[in-house]
Amino acid sequence: MTGKIFDFKLVFTQIPDLLKYLPVTMELAIASTVFGMLLGLLIAIIKIKKVKVLDKLATFYVSLVRGTPVLVQLYIAYFGVPMLLKYINQQTGSDLKVAAIPGFVYAVLALGFNQSAFDAEVFRAALLSVDKGQHEAAAAIGMTGWQSLRRIIIPEALSVALPSLGNSFINAIKGTSLAFTCAVVEMTAEGKILSGRNYRYFEVYVSLAIIYWAITILFEKILKFVEKKISVPEQVEQIRPEELESLRNQKSRAYAAKKNHNGLGGELAWQKNRGLS
Amino acid sequence: MAEKQRFVIKDLKKKFNNNIVLDGIDLTINEGDVLGVIGPSGTGKSTLLRCINQLEVPESGSIEIGESQIDLSNAKKSNLKNVTQLRQRTGMVFQRFNLFQKKTALENVMEGLITVQKKSKDEARKIALKELDRVGMTQWANHYPKHLSGGQQQRVAIARVLAMKPDLILMDEPTSALDPELVGEVLETIKQLAEEGHTMILVSHEMAFIRKVATRCIFLDHGKIVEDGTPKEVFTAPTQERTRDFLKKMSLLEEPDYVI
Repeated sequence: MTGKIFDFKLVFTQIPDLLKYLPVTMELAIASTVFGMLLGLLIAIIKIKKVKVLDKLATFYVSLVRGTPVLVQLYIAYFGVPMLLKYINQQTGSDLKVAAIPGFVYAVLALGFNQSAFDAEVFRAALLSVDKGQHEAAAAIGMTGWQSLRRIIIPEALSVALPSLGNSFINAIKGTSLAFTCAVVEMTAEGKILSGRNYRYFEVYVSLAIIYWAITILFEKILKFVEKKISVPEQVEQIRPEELESLRNQKSRAYAAKKNHNGLGGELAWQKNRGLS
Repeated sequence: MAEKQRFVIKDLKKKFNNNIVLDGIDLTINEGDVLGVIGPSGTGKSTLLRCINQLEVPESGSIEIGESQIDLSNAKKSNLKNVTQLRQRTGMVFQRFNLFQKKTALENVMEGLITVQKKSKDEARKIALKELDRVGMTQWANHYPKHLSGGQQQRVAIARVLAMKPDLILMDEPTSALDPELVGEVLETIKQLAEEGHTMILVSHEMAFIRKVATRCIFLDHGKIVEDGTPKEVFTAPTQERTRDFLKKMSLLEEPDYVI
């Protein structure tokens, strides 16, 4: 211990040690985001379609999750769920290995549930923002409800939802710093452990702040890029006669290889998705 | 289409809440007919089209296409296949075009061919380009709807319908949302379809156009067919007072400039 009030150098020198736990942080964030988005989309569809009973249940769920702090939710998941499982074991004589469930699972569930409530509203607003005419046009050419949802409505809604979903992901990254409550050692938890050794608490929190901030900036940039990528380009040049000729004679494979500088990017994406190229 | 197709609509009734919009429509459309539908706003012209392809479900009514008879009032519940079949045999051109916003003109036309008709991509593209050619939009194949003018969008929408080879084309005020100077190009395209012998129901306020292009014309008022005849009969010698009133209001004695 050097006796300095604030060890400026340490803020930076311990960053690599903290970064060793970045993968855990990211795994938590990504897993809970994926889980939260899928559940959120499901809830949004239930609410829009006004599915009986489930609709009421969804409203109740969203209200409950949005009205309670994440920290409390994490504690409930970590302490409550095992208790419930043990109770089930006791009552039914089943043999669920409660102790074998890693804290990671509880953290992902709690953070995911938390996100789903927010994402549900985002998806709902985005799906409702798609013009009714798009549904009708799809229906009128004979597409089924599912086809029109998957190929027309969701891609359009996604453009609208993306900025908010990005925010939700960034919140998830920061939210993982609470996962220590489920005994998961991620970056923040490791910071606490490190500073427990040298009592440099303040320094480690500054280091963590820098790391989280940097990650957030990075993902904001990625998000901007993706947003641009999936949005309809501002302008497209007219097809030249020779391009048109090659388009006419195009076979899917050759066409896909050509890449999308002629503004036909969307079609290429399909080919990949449908395994046609 | 080997033998002559007929579309027979029987006893079509539709109300919104307590407002009766269609009050028992009986209508037979023969292959090659271009049926112009005119009438004051709110008389159910659009609703008639939307009931035929099940965008609206009527209280009662049936449609007979060739051999098959479909109950329009509960097709959605009783037999979803019927709805799909109906929609595949009809094509709809909307007032507001309704092109898929995140797809290029080409992809818009290809979409139904791929998802509904299960054609391969290459085949779909070939057909789509041919149809875009027909409406004069090939150079814009790679453009998204937002890059196109209203008239161009509507022409792509028409190509999208044509690509599906429907037996009956429903046109729901196809030029009403267009700037006046763009109406002509769309009417030109529709006229071309009429000349090619497509069977169409054309709901429009372009009276002069209907008069020229339609083979038959009905005047709809308060959910009923008031007048039914050739355009010449309906426009020059209407038998009903209501038709005369309507035509007088539209001051159809003078012809607009952009008539083609």
